[in-house]
Amino acid sequence: MTVEAAALDQWYTIGAINDFAPGVSTRRLLGHDLTITRTRDSFAVDNLPVRTDYGHLWTTLGAPQRPLFDIPESREPDRRAVYCGAVRVRASGLRLIENFLDLAHFPYVHTDILGIEDKPEVARYEVEQRRDVDELWATKCEFFQPRAAASAEGGQMSKYTYRVTTPFNVMLYKTPPSAPDRWDVIALFVQPVEPNLSIAHPYMLVIDDVSTEAELIGFQQMIFLQDKIVLENQRPLLLPLQPGRETPTRADLSSVVYRRWLKEKALTYGTEARTDLA
Amino acid sequence: MWIPIALSRDVPAATTRAVILDGMELVVWRGETGPVQIWEDRCPHRGMRLSFGFVRGNSLNCLYHGWQYGEGASCERIPAHPDLVVPPTIKANAYASTETGGMIWVNLPATDGPPPVFLAGRPIASLAIAAPAQTIIDSLGQPAAEAQLVETKLDGISLNIGWHSPGTDRTMLHVVALDPGNVESKALIALHQLRASAERTGP
Repeated sequence: MTVEAAALDQWYTIGAINDFAPGVSTRRLLGHDLTITRTRDSFAVDNLPVRTDYGHLWTTLGAPQRPLFDIPESREPDRRAVYCGAVRVRASGLRLIENFLDLAHFPYVHTDILGIEDKPEVARYEVEQRRDVDELWATKCEFFQPRAAASAEGGQMSKYTYRVTTPFNVMLYKTPPSAPDRWDVIALFVQPVEPNLSIAHPYMLVIDDVSTEAELIGFQQMIFLQDKIVLENQRPLLLPLQPGRETPTRADLSSVVYRRWLKEKALTYGTEARTDLA
Repeated sequence: MWIPIALSRDVPAATTRAVILDGMELVVWRGETGPVQIWEDRCPHRGMRLSFGFVRGNSLNCLYHGWQYGEGASCERIPAHPDLVVPPTIKANAYASTETGGMIWVNLPATDGPPPVFLAGRPIASLAIAAPAQTIIDSLGQPAAEAQLVETKLDGISLNIGWHSPGTDRTMLHVVALDPGNVESKALIALHQLRASAERTGP
């Protein structure tokens, strides 16, 4: 299967640094088998470009027009970097990103944790395509959460900002229960293995000196496994870009802008074949 | 064509059940009162399978975002927008259904014929068999003219056996006993023998 330039010319993670044993291992990306050689702290991925940032190993099968995106918070010394483990999901990676951007599912998929059924309303928020950096930003997002994080002790109106840096990489900024003037960073790096098979690498940079590592990982894994049930049971597993295949409402503004952005890029990997184009 | 896809007993009030018919994913569900309903197993919002949803009153609610669908498959409520009057164009994809002879039937592909009518009986079981329907049914007798059902005797017990095909070379039998009296365990043994023999024969 040939992969189009829009998908090839991007940076992808192929796993957390700590998950690579010394010597040779293999991973799969966009339907290609990769051979990774680790010698102490240096990595080779076939003859491809390599980055080791944010605790993960990154590579590309094409020629990205931009360097790997920056996460300035990764340089703040008081943040804890938390690796939540790789999760294999039988769905398009684009579906994972879209679900990550979604507020309206909190009361139903993460019931009594990230939302409650009595407060399901999604207030108006804003989404912009920042053309200078080619990123999507959703701002002014708010949602009532009974248990917003591992360290939460009561409900709060959580504020969110979402940042989509590439079609398969996304992060959010969220008010932490312990430091209302700072933002927790939760990233989801998606490794598209096949069009309908992905490995999710959730990664957090949090302000939390209360929770144990196990509590932070446990919380994030609980949330992600709840999402996985939905993601593997959406039909189709691939993301539909054809108008009329699904039914967005105002709460889905992030999804609408994300899909428009993908179309603008002519990205098709992980999308459903369209029948409405000449 | 009217096709039986489940035993009525196996879809109690306020539950959903996922059924695959010739590769099509269907949700069969029943409200707390009211008739059984059969829809495409897909919420029109984001494609989530509605069989994962939850029933409240006589509505089926999608697990993903709580979109609420009522009788007739129209969306009645979008919780993210509590004040929104949902446009009538937002609907799940519904198929005609009926219940008779202890089974739930779908008219798919849709035909003009009236729904079939069969005698009620005692539900025995739905049984998955890894063999094409033809080889199983041929061994049982002559099916009804307008419906996928054969009246037959197994080990002396009178049974109505309906069937549907989830996919190639796979068959689901839906079995109802017509005899009075306690014949369940005897019928189950006969059915398991039928399955063993059909799967040995192969396609």
